[in-house]
Amino acid sequence: MNEKGKMLMKTFNHEIKDEVGIHARPAGLLVKEAKKYNSKITLNVNGKSAEATKLMAIMTLGVKQGQVVEITIEGEDEDTAYEGMKVFFEQNL
Amino acid sequence: MKDKIFSVLQRVGRSFMLPIAILPVAGLLMGIGSSFTNTTTIETYGLTGILGEGTILYALLIIMSKVGSTIFDNLPLIFAVGVAIGMAKREKEVSALSAVIAYFVMNTAINAMLVISGQILENGEIAQTVLEGTIASSCGILTLQMGVFGGVIVGLGVAALHNRFYKIQLPSALSFFGGTRFVPIISTIVYMFVGILMYFIWPFAQSGIYALGGLVSGSGYVGTLIFGLIKRALIPFGLHHVFYMPFWQTGVGGTMEVAGQIVQGGQNIFFAQLADSANVAHFSADATRFFSGEFIFMIFGLPGAALAMYRCAKPEKKKAAGGLLLSAALASMATGITEPIEFSFLFVAPMLFVVQVILAGTAYMIAHMLNIAVGLTFSGGLIDLFLFGILQGNEKTSWMLIVPVGIIYFFLYYFIFKFLILKSDLKTPGREDDNTETKLYTKADVNARKEGLKKAASEDEVSGEADSISEAITRGLGGKQNIEDVDCCATRLRCTVGDISLVNDEVLRATGASGVVRKGKGVQVIYGPNVTVIKSDLEDYLASATDTIVIKSIVISSPMKGKAANLSTAPDEAFAQGMMGDGAVVTPEDSYVYAPEDGEVSFVFDTKHAIGFLTDSGVSLLIHVGIDTVNLNGNGFKALVESGQKVKKGQPMLKLDLDYLKKHAPSIVSPIVCTELEENQKVRLIKEGNISAGEALFVVDIYE
Repeated sequence: MNEKGKMLMKTFNHEIKDEVGIHARPAGLLVKEAKKYNSKITLNVNGKSAEATKLMAIMTLGVKQGQVVEITIEGEDEDTAYEGMKVFFEQNL
Repeated sequence: MKDKIFSVLQRVGRSFMLPIAILPVAGLLMGIGSSFTNTTTIETYGLTGILGEGTILYALLIIMSKVGSTIFDNLPLIFAVGVAIGMAKREKEVSALSAVIAYFVMNTAINAMLVISGQILENGEIAQTVLEGTIASSCGILTLQMGVFGGVIVGLGVAALHNRFYKIQLPSALSFFGGTRFVPIISTIVYMFVGILMYFIWPFAQSGIYALGGLVSGSGYVGTLIFGLIKRALIPFGLHHVFYMPFWQTGVGGTMEVAGQIVQGGQNIFFAQLADSANVAHFSADATRFFSGEFIFMIFGLPGAALAMYRCAKPEKKKAAGGLLLSAALASMATGITEPIEFSFLFVAPMLFVVQVILAGTAYMIAHMLNIAVGLTFSGGLIDLFLFGILQGNEKTSWMLIVPVGIIYFFLYYFIFKFLILKSDLKTPGREDDNTETKLYTKADVNARKEGLKKAASEDEVSGEADSISEAITRGLGGKQNIEDVDCCATRLRCTVGDISLVNDEVLRATGASGVVRKGKGVQVIYGPNVTVIKSDLEDYLASATDTIVIKSIVISSPMKGKAANLSTAPDEAFAQGMMGDGAVVTPEDSYVYAPEDGEVSFVFDTKHAIGFLTDSGVSLLIHVGIDTVNLNGNGFKALVESGQKVKKGQPMLKLDLDYLKKHAPSIVSPIVCTELEENQKVRLIKEGNISAGEALFVVDIYE
């Protein structure tokens, strides 16, 4: 919450570079990373969304190379979560 | 406060069980060894040719006798270590080591004080002025004669230090010496001072003990009667070991000079005389009065009680009650373990227990009056009677008198029990009302249980019968978190619990217990002689059970035929470390992947190498065929289902080209993991090696 009491939400987009998309191993890493933060982290793609802490949900999205995923982060530690997730996506996906 | 004392005494009593358990063996060795090396015995039976001095058998028997004797000689040290182990809450081996160290330290400190004060001369001899028998050698150290008390002081104190300090954290510079390593250190320092203190205090204790012993000896037969009554009355509380041990093992039970040595304690005196039996006309009944009477009621009396209970059982229940009572009677007769019989009536008919206490207590006195001097190592069964009575000869032990007195006792027990059972309609075994089962443990139960155990072990089943019993006991004790400590004595499981109100007697009885005694935070569950097995199982169970109680277990079957193994063997770190979840691996040997359970296909990955699956029982599974198979882009796989499709267990989901996969993937080992486990859910692998599709692979245990 900011001082006006309005809910903040951080968002960034990421284009998947991994040639097989988000498969089991990166999904596992993603879940592990996302669990470090208290914020709710959501992946949105093709009108579907999945919580980043749910391995099965992420894999169900079936994200492929070249698709753009919108990642939304909201919660008390969203600033650090934002930085962390951004680095994670750059390095792994 | 009273409850607290009870709880401590209970621990002390059970900690004696480990050192006591060696005594029958030591006694057996010594009994056989010294009986057949006794020149008189050999000559009497004309065995000089094979047993005479110089024969191999003679040498062997001498060794047996000495080996047995060394255990009796070193009982203080054995008790120090045994009590320390029994009383330590955790890391028991550390307290054992500390006890050995403390025992040497204490006695060496005493020795130094004795040398400084001139009671031990520089040449190592004891000064003339010292009262005979107050200084003796223990483990090669000349020290004050403290007997088993000395060992118990060390054991109790070291265990207290251990329980207080074994988790201590020291400043980082000294951290190497922290935790369990601190225990031997603090024990050494403390027992150096205890030794110095003992030098000043013990002489007073010595005279006090001799006075008390003198009082009991002086009160003659009445003293023996009172001893017998108290000992038998303490059985239900499990405190009898604390009570009788001083009489058997220390100056409280009398002092006597045997073969030039001052010996303390009834049992010790008997065995010293046994070792010196060539020079003893008749063993001292003043020494054996604390146990010789036990032969009378253990071999004769209690079996009479068992027969009375059998005769009073309802006709339709005679067979069941008979098996129970016969085995209990045999245990009492052969080994002198009386709890199985005593507990069969103690709880259902306390009146009978009063009778038992009076009759048995009197037996000690009668044996004393008749000058019966038969020794024993542990309890008054036939084995001990044979070794320490019959073999030693009637002239020395008067054992033959046990037989007529015993026969009288047999009938006394039989008729009094029968009369009271019928008159007051007591619910002894086989007389229960029809709606209650015979809850007592019969030998058959024990054997069945043992068989079950063996079977479980041999078949490598994780969930054997033993586990289900342990699980029930855990439940009966109020759950794993409620159990603070588990131990056992000859017949009962002794536990300390956090909250006594959570203990459920009914649940415990259903596990085969014949009774439950609660006092303060202590709970004793009486099972019988097989309690050690039950205790070990329970400990194993408690150690392996990761959390309280399993409220539900969901079976997950293998989706393919092949070889099952632990997930940690997966040739892929991410899977092996459980990053995707916990589960198992299967190396497929057949080209189909089937639905493991009824459920829904959450997704089929585009490259068809992995399937997400949600079982109807609510478990999310990832079935990942092979390692790094995502790189095959779908080659080698054919999907037979699609995302969102409902499937039945055994329905084919994927077709594999195993040859292609083996050639192109790093491995075809296929992890099957639960991706969304909650904190209270744990995976338990139940099959390793060959497995067929649809056969149970692992279980998801859901804890409370």
